[in-house]
Amino acid sequence: MPKKFKTWLKTITFYEILVGMAATMKHLLHYKPITLQYPHEKRTLPDSYRGMLALLRYDDGTEKCVGCDLCEAACPSRVIRVVSSEVPGEPTKRFAKEYYMDMTRCLFCGMCVDACPVDALGMTREYEWAVYDKRHLHLNKQQLLAIGDRSYPVREKRLEFQHPNVAFFNVAFKNLPQKES
Amino acid sequence: MAELALRMAFSLAQIAVVMGVIMLTVMILTLAERKVLGWMQDRMGPMEVGPYGLLQPIADGLKLFFKEDIVPAGANKFLFSLAPILALVPALIGFAVIPFGPDSTIELFGIKFKPFIISDINIGILYVLAFTSIGAYGIILGGWASNSKYSLLGGLRAAAQIISYELNVGLAIVGVLLLAGSLSLVKITQAQAGWFWNWYIFAPPFPQIFAFVVYVISAVAETNRVPFDLPEAESELVAGFFTEYSGMRFAFFFIAEYGNMILVSCIAATLFLGGWNAPYPGTALARLGFAQFAWAENVVWFAAKVYFFLFLFFWLRATLPRLRYDQLMRFGWKVMLPIALGNILVTAIAAYLFPGSR
Repeated sequence: MPKKFKTWLKTITFYEILVGMAATMKHLLHYKPITLQYPHEKRTLPDSYRGMLALLRYDDGTEKCVGCDLCEAACPSRVIRVVSSEVPGEPTKRFAKEYYMDMTRCLFCGMCVDACPVDALGMTREYEWAVYDKRHLHLNKQQLLAIGDRSYPVREKRLEFQHPNVAFFNVAFKNLPQKES
Repeated sequence: MAELALRMAFSLAQIAVVMGVIMLTVMILTLAERKVLGWMQDRMGPMEVGPYGLLQPIADGLKLFFKEDIVPAGANKFLFSLAPILALVPALIGFAVIPFGPDSTIELFGIKFKPFIISDINIGILYVLAFTSIGAYGIILGGWASNSKYSLLGGLRAAAQIISYELNVGLAIVGVLLLAGSLSLVKITQAQAGWFWNWYIFAPPFPQIFAFVVYVISAVAETNRVPFDLPEAESELVAGFFTEYSGMRFAFFFIAEYGNMILVSCIAATLFLGGWNAPYPGTALARLGFAQFAWAENVVWFAAKVYFFLFLFFWLRATLPRLRYDQLMRFGWKVMLPIALGNILVTAIAAYLFPGSR
């Protein structure tokens, strides 16, 4: 009975509502906003941030991509389209004649970067890619290379000049020895 | 003839000032609500327009003013245009009988005017109740004329809710009227002069604290504010009765909502918290020898009480979730109404037994 009386007393004095109102008032008095004023202040991104995709080059400016289509096969949402072709005059070498990414569909999983045997793809830390026209997110090879150029100023040496232990096509060897700088 | 012209000119000037103040308060409220809600929810509120977002109401007003005025296909054009006006006018017209300051008179060109009330009619509170009821027409007609199911549902809910809670507001006020013995808001305020325990919320012979609580809850419900914002429940009805409205017509509904908030706050301050009276007898300025400026203190006290209620509206909105519709109706008819009726009974007996104490 006393418990019932207590509940009744709480009901008629709006006890629960007053507790809630005290909580909101406490937040008002100890005002400490947790939001960021986005365009003026920006978050610090984590080191493993997966942002815009980019195609990379070697230090002599040649493209890394060998047109193997593995990224296209790995992509879960069919973002990538590669048109592969022989390097003129060098029948053993291939390259991507055309390379398209439809970034409207990309979910930034990074599987294409994992799949690439020559590390030709990279994820940058860019994320401000809002555009007025959806078609501007359908990127071609030149645009992707440009993103890579502005995001990765320090480029790798050509494979031939890297550590001798590195295989020419380093397919699926994740635990390779450290490369000399 | 000259006297009539002078009186009309003075009344028009008063109306212009009061409307200006109300519109300014509405502007302040739109910003204050977003800011207070933001602060209570660990956000900042509007920050972009002007320093700390202070010019946000002006930006909002300009945006609404220049927006396209859409009338949906199949809407009843006449009623669709009439509804915002029907909602706004009753919300603003009630301020005609609110005493904003002391009941003093000034003499201009040989004619006596009351500067702090537009029209001191002897049935002031009845007039306010009558006009706020008309506001329900604007809402339900706007909901019906939009030719949209969300609007219609919102309008129906709003009408049912306003009528149910109007009753509780009326009954909660009756206790005060019994004690004051008058329907004039000026007389009611004058009867609460002196220390703050003469205010009707604490006043002997029977404190109107129950009536006050019933009034505040019913006032929140009547103005369709959280937690009683069923008519415009975003998660169910898009925006309720003004789903299809845009531009200035939407602004009219918006101003009407805030105008109603200010009006019920003014009534609550007048009836229960002593209106323009300070919590101590007289005014501090008059005692210090500035009797000619005592009105300023009274007006400030009135504004402080009104703003307290307006802050309460925001506070409740930041705290409470929305009620379910059957809970709302059950609460109105089965809880609020008996309390209000019981309060009338007890107050009537107390006023009969202790006629001298009021």
